[in-house]
Formats: sequence, structure tokens, C-alpha cells
Amino acid sequence: MNKTIESLWASKRLLLAMPIALLALTGTASAQCVNCTNEDPKKILLDLIDQIDSAYLTQSPQNLMMMEDNPAYFVVDDGKALFEQKRGPNNVSLEKCDFGKGPGVLDGAYAEMPRYFEDTGRVMDLESRLVHCMKTLQGFPSDDPALKARADIRALMAYVGARSNGYEWQPSMDHPLEKAMRDAGEVMFYRRSSVLDFSCNTCHSETGKQIRASVLPNMNVPKEWTKAVSWPALRVGKSSNVRSPYQRLRGCYWQMRKGQINRRSDAAIAMFSFWKDAARGEPAILPDLKR
Amino acid sequence: MYREIPHKLGRAALVLTLLCVVGGGPAVAGSSDNADYTAMSAEELAEHLIFKARGFNTDEATQEGGTVRDRLTQDQLQKTCSELKGGQIDSATVQTVTQLAQKSMTYPDGGIELGDWKKGQAIAENAFGFRVGHKVDDHSSRETGGLCMNCHRLEEKKAIRSGTLGPSLIGYGKERGTSEQTKKYTYEVIYNPHAFFPCTKMPRFGANEVLTQEKIAHILAYLLDPASPVNQ
Repeated sequence: MNKTIESLWASKRLLLAMPIALLALTGTASAQCVNCTNEDPKKILLDLIDQIDSAYLTQSPQNLMMMEDNPAYFVVDDGKALFEQKRGPNNVSLEKCDFGKGPGVLDGAYAEMPRYFEDTGRVMDLESRLVHCMKTLQGFPSDDPALKARADIRALMAYVGARSNGYEWQPSMDHPLEKAMRDAGEVMFYRRSSVLDFSCNTCHSETGKQIRASVLPNMNVPKEWTKAVSWPALRVGKSSNVRSPYQRLRGCYWQMRKGQINRRSDAAIAMFSFWKDAARGEPAILPDLKR
Repeated sequence: MYREIPHKLGRAALVLTLLCVVGGGPAVAGSSDNADYTAMSAEELAEHLIFKARGFNTDEATQEGGTVRDRLTQDQLQKTCSELKGGQIDSATVQTVTQLAQKSMTYPDGGIELGDWKKGQAIAENAFGFRVGHKVDDHSSRETGGLCMNCHRLEEKKAIRSGTLGPSLIGYGKERGTSEQTKKYTYEVIYNPHAFFPCTKMPRFGANEVLTQEKIAHILAYLLDPASPVNQ
């Protein structure tokens, strides 16, 4: 803790940093993420803040203060209930869904995704795998409203995500297809196009840079990037609800003026493969709380 | 334009897929469209995912009259700079890109003039325009902006909420004056910054037709007019 306080003094963000220092010293005594694995998401973030000087990780003392009361925890609880509920024409729950570590194994499963699945012959992300299970286990047909109930699917994702909280990102990279998708995602990360000539790299290649008032995470700094890719998360602000990894990706392509990337497409999954690989070895913060 | 998958490869993939299906094994290098992803280079696969595998809503119309496909199709400068993959630029690329940029320069009829700095300030702080997809920027409802403040600090009292991806421009005109040379240089940086900073992060506001000549003139005033807040 001392190192953190010293560095915060040095950076002259004293007034803003005081709440962080106080919080770190007092520890957390209020709400808790009941369905999160490992330590509370806030503790994971504080540990990262302790390890590196990062304007990105420390940019919002207010959000740090709110983390232990993250409304996303309620969404995680809702997601658990939905996950265990018997639904669909087959009247079964999702408890036998295989997220890559075997049917019904949730702990740490999301942290190893996207990954190749033998039964579909594809690399799949969380959202596409969840929809796959809803169709094959629960029997929902492709045009069923349940598959378009975005808030429900986000709640399910928040729950599965919370069961990887604190696990190191270790996306599976043994299968040639996993590597191919990850490498294509890397090309896409650097691919400049459209009227503003942007690529992801334009904003995410340097430490401590701001777009307007927001400090950007550097993809080349895993201890920053792990927070950047920790979705589902609650975004404070006008929508103030839990957002999925796809929504973050879509938002970036929107701001880059490129065009809409499609949900559950291989293009999106390739991006997620690269994202997660760049955060490899660092702990996931799930659910997170963000600007 | 995107690269076609070599015909031989496509045929081989199809044969292999059929063999595997008949043989009972998993589909070869399975993808949503049966193309063999593992037989492609990373660059080929990226193009394939973007243009061929329904990765993007490529038919969507854009405000400038084309489609998303046009926006995602790279020109020579974008392709060249993308190949750096965030690494250091080499002297060959410096030459190629600066020459491309210099060739692209066009200038306003009647010469480079300063417009109204108040309008320039509004343009600098305005990030509206050109977004498509789940929320489309309607250009008939609002003026489009230059996004300058997204990346640059321009006024001291707004510094905390101004971006730092680009260098600070606080006091830009105060330091440089308003000579013809300064106006020309500043104009060219806005029009196509690659002429001076090859593979810069900054958009080609003129060459890509993001800003009109009129808006550039107002921004020039915002930067160079001694009365502008930038120079106080």
C-alpha cells in the first residue's frame, strides 16, 4: 500500500487519490459479490493498482468506491437463477452446458474463452456458446424470442463471467483454429480504415493517453488490458446497465466510424481471441464497473 | 478490395470437408462458411472475416454516399501504415507515405484564409458525424465536427477534459504568428498530416473529406488568430 500512496502523491493527483488510499487501508466491509469466485472484484483491481503506476486503473476514485456495491452483482444473481431455471421446449436448465471445461463446469471456464469446440468445429465466444446451449440443450428454435432477450442473455453472461472472477485469462491456444482466429484478430487490431484512418491501435497503444477526459488502456500493458477486457461490466452513466463484450466492441467500431461488426460473428470472435490473449496471465475482474 | 481465396484452396477445402463429413470426423478447420481458416494467412483470414464471413454489416449506406464496404476497404496509405503493426516506421515507408500525402494536397480557391475563430472553436469541440451502425449520425440534423478536442488540448481551462493522444496545441498561434508559411503548414497538417508525420494517428481531415474547406478555415482561425482562446 505504501508504494501506491507514494506514487499517487508524486503524480500530484493527491486530492483525487485520497479516497483510494483511505479505501485501500480500511478494506471492504459492505456488499459482496456472492456468486463471484475468488476475491471480490474490487480487491483484484486494488491489487493491480498496487503493482503498477497506472493513470488508467486509477482514473475514477468514484467508481472504485462504488465497486463493492456494483449493481451488476444483482444482475449476476439474476443470471444464476435464469441459468438454473428449467426453460425451453426441452424444459431443462443450462447446468449441463459445456463452456470448454466439461458439461456443468463453470469455475474458470470463461477465462479460457474463446476456444475451439469439437461439437461445432468452431472457435466460440461466451455469447455464441450460450446461445448454442440454449438451442441444443433447452431446444429453443433460432427465431425464439428467448434468443433475442438481450438483457436475459447479458444476465446469463454476467453469471458465467462472475464464475471466472479472479482467474487468469488463459484463452485456449492449442488448436490451429484458435491460433488462426487470434492472429486474424491481431491483424484486425492494427488494421487502419475508414474516413478517420483509425485502428484499435490508434487509441490503445500508449500508456496514460486520454481521449477527452477518459484515460485509455494500453493493449501492450497486460495489467491495464485485463481490466479493459473484463466484460460483462456495468457502465456508469446514461445506460447504467450491464454491458457485454460485444457491446464494447460494437461501441469501438462505432466511434472509429467503420461500420457495425456483427454479434457472434467470426470477426467479433477473432477480436475477442486477440483481446484475451493480450491480457493473458492477468486476473479477470468480473463483473467490473466502468465509466 | 478484399482478396479472393485462391480457387485451388477453396476446392481442396470443399473436398476435405466432404471427406470428413463422410468419414464422420469434425468439419475441417470449421468455420461458419466452410472456408479453411487454417490454410489462410492471418491477413487473408482477416479480410475474409470482414468481407466474406458476414463479419460486418457491409451493405449499410454511409453519410458520404457509399457503403460500409467502402469504408472498410483500405487505400494504399492505410494498408502501408497498417503493416507497421504499431512498430517503428522505416525510411522506405516514410518516403512512400509522405509522397502519397504530398500528392493528395489540394488548396482552397483564392488561397488559404483564416475564418472565424468562434466557429472554429465549435468545430474543434464537436465530435458529431460519420458514425453508422446501431446509432446513425444524421448529417441533416446537426453540423459535423472536427473532433479536435478528442485528441488535443487547445485551451488551458479545458485541458483536463481534452485529449492527449495528440500534442498540446495550447498557444499554437502565439508561437508561430500568421505568416503565409505558417498558414500553409497548418492547413496541410489538417488536410493530410502524413505529409509531415507519416503514419500519424491523426485523420486526413481534408483528403478524406471529413472537413470542408470552410470548416478548415475556421479551425485555422481558432489556432492562429491572436484573439482566439488558444492564444490567450
